[in-house]
Amino acid sequence: MSLICRTHRHWLVTVSFASLAAAASTLLFSDGSAAQGPLVAGSVCEAQKLKAQKAHDPHLEIEVPPEHDKSHPSLEACLAHDEAWNENNEGPRQPIPFSHKHHAGFLQMDCQYCHSGSDVSRAAGVPSVEVCMGCHAQFPAEYDQMEGIQILKQHWAEKKPIEWNQVYRLPEYAKFRHNRHVQFGLECQQCHGPVETMDRVHVQPDTTWKYFVPAQTLEMGWCIQCHRKQEHQASTDCMKCHM
Amino acid sequence: MPDLDRRDFLRLTGLGAGAAAASACSDPIEKLVPYVIQPETITPGIPVDYASTCRECSASCGLHVRTREGRPVKLEGNPHHPINQGKLCARGQAGIARTYHPDRFAGPMAKGADGVLAPISWEQAEAQLVSKLTTGTPQVRVLGGDRGPSVNGIVDSFVAGLGGAKRVIYEPFAHDALRAATAQVFGRAVLPIFDISQADLILDFGSDFLDGGLFSLETTRQFVEARDLKKHPDGGARLVSIGPRLSMTASNADQWLPAKAGSEATVAQALAQVVRDARGGSESARRSSLAGMDLAAGLDAGAIEALAKRVLAAKRVVALPPGVGAAGPQATATAAAVLVLNAALGAVGTAVLLPEAETRPAAADLSALTQLADDMKAGRVDVLLVHDSNPVYSMPGGLGFGEALQKVGFVVSFASMIDETAAKADLVLPDLTPLESWGDAEPRKGIRSVQQPTVRPLQDGKALGDTLLSVAAAAGVAGLPQGNTHDIVKANWGSGWRQALDRGGSFSSTPTTGARIVAGASALDRRADAPRAGDGDLTLVAYAHSFLGDGSGASLPWMQEIPDPVTKASWVSWAEISNATSKRLGVSFGDVVQIATALGSVELPAYPRGGVRDDIVAVAIGQGHTHGQYASMTNDGAPGVARGVNILALLPAEPDASGARTFTGTPAKLAKTGAFSRIPISQWTDNQRGRGLVPEVSLASLAGGKEAHGEVDEHALVSEGGGHHDGPPFEYDMQNDASPESDYRWGMTIDDDRCTGCSACVAACSIENNIPVVGQDGATRHREMSWIRIERYIGDGDLSGGRERRPHPNREKLGEADVRQAPMLCQHCGSAPCESVCPVLATYHTPDGLNGMVYNRCVGTRYCANNCTYKVRRFNYFDYSREKWPGLLGMMLNPEVTVRCQGVMEKCTFCVQRIESARQGAKDEKRPIADGEVQTACQQSCPTGAITFGNSRDPKSQVIAKSKDTGRSFHALQVLNTRPAITYLAQVKRDDERSHG
Repeated sequence: MSLICRTHRHWLVTVSFASLAAAASTLLFSDGSAAQGPLVAGSVCEAQKLKAQKAHDPHLEIEVPPEHDKSHPSLEACLAHDEAWNENNEGPRQPIPFSHKHHAGFLQMDCQYCHSGSDVSRAAGVPSVEVCMGCHAQFPAEYDQMEGIQILKQHWAEKKPIEWNQVYRLPEYAKFRHNRHVQFGLECQQCHGPVETMDRVHVQPDTTWKYFVPAQTLEMGWCIQCHRKQEHQASTDCMKCHM
Repeated sequence: MPDLDRRDFLRLTGLGAGAAAASACSDPIEKLVPYVIQPETITPGIPVDYASTCRECSASCGLHVRTREGRPVKLEGNPHHPINQGKLCARGQAGIARTYHPDRFAGPMAKGADGVLAPISWEQAEAQLVSKLTTGTPQVRVLGGDRGPSVNGIVDSFVAGLGGAKRVIYEPFAHDALRAATAQVFGRAVLPIFDISQADLILDFGSDFLDGGLFSLETTRQFVEARDLKKHPDGGARLVSIGPRLSMTASNADQWLPAKAGSEATVAQALAQVVRDARGGSESARRSSLAGMDLAAGLDAGAIEALAKRVLAAKRVVALPPGVGAAGPQATATAAAVLVLNAALGAVGTAVLLPEAETRPAAADLSALTQLADDMKAGRVDVLLVHDSNPVYSMPGGLGFGEALQKVGFVVSFASMIDETAAKADLVLPDLTPLESWGDAEPRKGIRSVQQPTVRPLQDGKALGDTLLSVAAAAGVAGLPQGNTHDIVKANWGSGWRQALDRGGSFSSTPTTGARIVAGASALDRRADAPRAGDGDLTLVAYAHSFLGDGSGASLPWMQEIPDPVTKASWVSWAEISNATSKRLGVSFGDVVQIATALGSVELPAYPRGGVRDDIVAVAIGQGHTHGQYASMTNDGAPGVARGVNILALLPAEPDASGARTFTGTPAKLAKTGAFSRIPISQWTDNQRGRGLVPEVSLASLAGGKEAHGEVDEHALVSEGGGHHDGPPFEYDMQNDASPESDYRWGMTIDDDRCTGCSACVAACSIENNIPVVGQDGATRHREMSWIRIERYIGDGDLSGGRERRPHPNREKLGEADVRQAPMLCQHCGSAPCESVCPVLATYHTPDGLNGMVYNRCVGTRYCANNCTYKVRRFNYFDYSREKWPGLLGMMLNPEVTVRCQGVMEKCTFCVQRIESARQGAKDEKRPIADGEVQTACQQSCPTGAITFGNSRDPKSQVIAKSKDTGRSFHALQVLNTRPAITYLAQVKRDDERSHG
């Protein structure tokens, strides 16, 4: 299993580079010639991608209309947005192309900025639409060119909740307390994997463990191997989790 | 693989087959739906409590509604509220199911041309009503219960604005006889307030004061306070119950005088006369006033004289007037005689108080209801609006309300869920439930509480007040208050609204006035018993069921499932007859009998008891509904079939002398039908066979021990039966009963002497722990799931009676009240028989000394249940949670507790989820769990504080302090050395009259 998933992921990394190239090549009219005039950016994101392409290839003729010649959304934001919905990526498709890599990785936002409550409550808490809008409402209008932002703002306008697809699921007979683990000082990544590197969040196998299973599927044996460590002083009593 | 162990090997082999099915790359199955705007007060995963008001009965107790992510999951009492002081009865707790009930109307309904209710929109529905109200000059009647000052105000101004309309306040159990009697005796039509906390002798004339009577949570608390052994080493107040049936209240009595049904007035009058004469000091006068009384009351010769001596010897006597089960043709006379007796005893002004004014509107008495029915039958009512009541079900059969309803042009029901009245309505404008809507209550002057919504309406209903306001606006009815119900409640409240929402209301003492007997009050006039029409050698006693009340509790699944505290029967109706009657008819337990009165007949299974007089047949009110998932047989697979019988249908519409409604005194004939119907009962014997499960110690032995040794005698507790408990309970074994390293060993102390059998703990446990109901069929097969039950035994029992399971042996005897009641739940044995037999280690001992049960490990061998000494383990034979909780009822589940599936064993966990919550709080603050911080659900709800829970390893804890009640403490079946974590305190025999031995 671990093998399958690893291969899969490797392939994904390749694909994500390839997709950038593909996006550029469509702009280059496949034969790569610029004979029919400069490449015109239709949106800020296209402009960002063309500029990146130009930096790579100085001979490229591009034309960025002034309304699309903006610093934001950044190239990283545009790429993350695309990758989050790239069906070749692992993990379930979410209703919004939200990239953890961009927010937690590139922007280095603290996990608990959005998942507030995970230090006080047993539930980690999925941010409300209001939390998203807390930042995104202040962003310039160019962001509205992105599909994800449009969906977000539509939910906000209709006051409709976003129905995310659950990635990490504990069976109901197991009770987990986020606050206990956060307060102990565990990194979120210890259980949820390197979320800050994932555009599309998925369960990533923990290959450090001897059991030949994808560990972060939250199997009990995987919980216990940590609870058993003396220095953690965690309980291995059944009724602590199963009640 | 050098370190391949057994588990790895199994995993690898499993993986080969199931690689594709493994979850790493599979699709997620659940949606995460966060808030759009998260309210500031809500953090997902952390419960929020709101203060509100219970609407299950007229006592209007204060509530704390525990919500999780905006949905109520548990109701508890509001500790600030002076009436219930943090406690809540079984009925109040089970009321949470109303909000999620599958019987609720999804929206407004109107009767079509085919006579079937069909959904319509609110605009159309209200327009229909408006057109009926504005066409011509219709005669309008509004029929329904008291809804608290603000909503009452809206209804009243609506009625006033219509002109010519009338409001009839209808409560089936209206205490109208008591109100009329107070008017007769004291000249003021109010309901007296009883305070029995200081009494040393309580005379109960069928008052149901422990069992759903007037403010019963308050009187229950006072009763136990008056008998507290710490405060009163002499045992405190004695209770004498007078009535034809060993009711739940009488089961707690020290003496039961089985007087004839309806003769309570005679007894009370005689006692009052004796007390008056005693002031004169004439022995002969006393004898003459008692002459013939024993015969009239059907008691042993000298019984009343002995009682009279007892009353005269006591210092602070309180007499409590009759409740529903004792409201016969002499209801007002009895209540008046009881009040005069109280006055003669000097209790008025101390234990019997008259409020300055009544805050609740007086409900219509039977004369007024008869007037309404006559108007309806004569076609003088064009539009009838029915709210907060189910008159088709709950009116006496003799009134013919069902037929009268057909003569009404347009019937509108505001019921939130289907009932017999709504089914006959032309238009249904569904009300919201109390947990969804605004309101207030003022059961007494000085006690005002707010009812606030705790969840958004789950169905397309509209609060009664709001519907009336918008209908009034559309119909051009003037004079209604401005705004919606919320605005009106808030405006009526005045200052301190925020604080009121926080505390649940504003509470101060009720102003009372002195009372003098009105000159010429004729309460002591001997009335000739006016015989009721109809023939029959038995008197029909229709009494109030502990949980079903006036029938409105029948739709609540847990109220059907929790066994009746006296008979232990659930889900059905039964006829209580005496053993002599059953012999005479040749029927035994479960044989169907026919009860016939002048109004018709019903058939129901017989329940022969020693605890009823030979001349009565007693049937509980509340069953016999034809509509509803649980109220009728729908959930048992027979939609529209009545569950049990509605005994009210057999009652004539004959009021007593003052016009009050009566429930007993109707002559009835009883006949055998030859059929058999199994009554689901949870306890098959009341013989404890000398095992001392619920032993009793005499006051003498408790006191004697002290005198003999100068200190408490550890061996005072002697069970008369098996003598197994001739020693104090063992000390806890630190090595065995919990981990030596653990700071905690959870334990419980249960004081049987305080247990009244009310079953509030059973309801609390069921709701807290997601315990499903199993239905009539399941209960008949003894598949009940409740983790805690109230065991009821008569006396110490003996080995007689053989081992037959049927007929149900009944050890009750007329005139004896040697009833033993105690909660039975998992004892969390230190040396648990269940643990050693589990083949998969699903049940084991936790370091804290709990007997753990891991559901996901259980494979359902049921060995543990077979080996359990106390029969407290329950097995999920079916997927009850799924089958018995249709629709939204699943939303009521406590997310802290796993819902068990088919094939899994379960049992009491000592509310381990509450222990864990307390532990989390303590860990956050880096301190040990404080004493009293963990309250189990049963303990929290117990109206008498009989249950104490805590850490047995903390020598200063309450649970240890209480368990060190030498002479009373014992463990259940101690001889088996299971080393339970629960210490019981034996019941105290205060009175030799309790049993004749």
